[in-house]
Amino acid sequence: MKQIIRTMTLAVAALAAGAAMAHHSAVQFDFTRQVSYTGVVKDFAAINPHMRLVIELNDEKGKREVRFEGHSTNNMYRGGYRKGMVKVGDTITVNAAPFRDGTEGGYVVSAETKEGFFGLRSSRAQDQRAIGEETRRQAEGR
Amino acid sequence: MGRLKIVMRGATAAAAALLCAAAMAAAAPPDFTGVWTTAGSSTGGNSSPATGALPLTPYGRARLEAYRKLTDGTDDSPGRWCVGTGMPGSMLGSGAYPMEIIQRPEQITIIYEAHTEVRRVYFGDRNAPPEDRIPGRNGYSSGRWEGDVLVVETDNLVDQVDQRTPHSDEAKIIERYSLDGKDAQGRRILKVEMTMIDPKFYTQPVVMTKRWAEVPNGRLLPYECPEEMWLDRIAEVAKERGVPNPFNPDSVSVAKD
Repeated sequence: MKQIIRTMTLAVAALAAGAAMAHHSAVQFDFTRQVSYTGVVKDFAAINPHMRLVIELNDEKGKREVRFEGHSTNNMYRGGYRKGMVKVGDTITVNAAPFRDGTEGGYVVSAETKEGFFGLRSSRAQDQRAIGEETRRQAEGR
Repeated sequence: MGRLKIVMRGATAAAAALLCAAAMAAAAPPDFTGVWTTAGSSTGGNSSPATGALPLTPYGRARLEAYRKLTDGTDDSPGRWCVGTGMPGSMLGSGAYPMEIIQRPEQITIIYEAHTEVRRVYFGDRNAPPEDRIPGRNGYSSGRWEGDVLVVETDNLVDQVDQRTPHSDEAKIIERYSLDGKDAQGRRILKVEMTMIDPKFYTQPVVMTKRWAEVPNGRLLPYECPEEMWLDRIAEVAKERGVPNPFNPDSVSVAKD
């Protein structure tokens, strides 16, 4: 419960800050859903206008690289990211709004490594929808 | 009696001084210095109006439709390529990032976090000679106070069909800034009423209102953007010439003594 409150507070804070930028064509991503991936970081850059992340997955479908996009450095920092939190070789769990065309990967809603967590999250399904919507608003700069 | 007169004269002088101070206080404009973020809701500006919603001329409509045909559904936008939002988009939302206002009597400086866009609003003699005003995405801004209302007039804008509220290089923008009470959290609200006049693009003035809420002790974050493109360029050049990339420590060999 505490966690939910914390993440919802974060969502509200992000909403209040209105932190976002209209760099993305948000139509590429389905913000009503979130897909979770756990893999190893192959490439990462906290840059503007938006971050870049490639992870290597190794599961029943085999070994492959999956690409993600996400917020600007500024909005990542507002979402809790700090320097050194994501490094090549780290194990990372990413919650992402998936690509609409079915390609694996998507738009990072939240991510976690052993160094920490950033973004928006909740364990409740109804909150996930709100979090996806808030992430979309940030991605579009509204 | 003489003494009383002196006392009375003194009292009159004190009252006059008080009145004068009160008048001066009343004349002093409000101080907008601080960091501001988009307030709860705003009308217009921060959402993309449908082409049909803007009072476009046939010329303006054709230009905007051509732009949208090219870019809709793609990742391409000025911000994607590290180009600042420009007026009026910077003032209407700046991608919903915060802004900072630094107010001096002769100049107000507005810094938008996104792309670190800067507008300088000059007052009176501080204004640049007209021939020195370089056209740009945020134009040239001149300010004056009408009581407690800051009036900013902006021209010298370049053609920006890539804005949510697109315009030609003939556009003129008038903003009226005033304090508009406080929100539920007790934060000051800064209201901006904007009128854009551009007969090339619009059949009538475009009017929008934006509200900003003060962020107590707020700080803007630095917004670096083009560096990635520069690093990519250097990597590309190094590869083309078959030489080490100086930004990649692993590819540079160090001579041993």
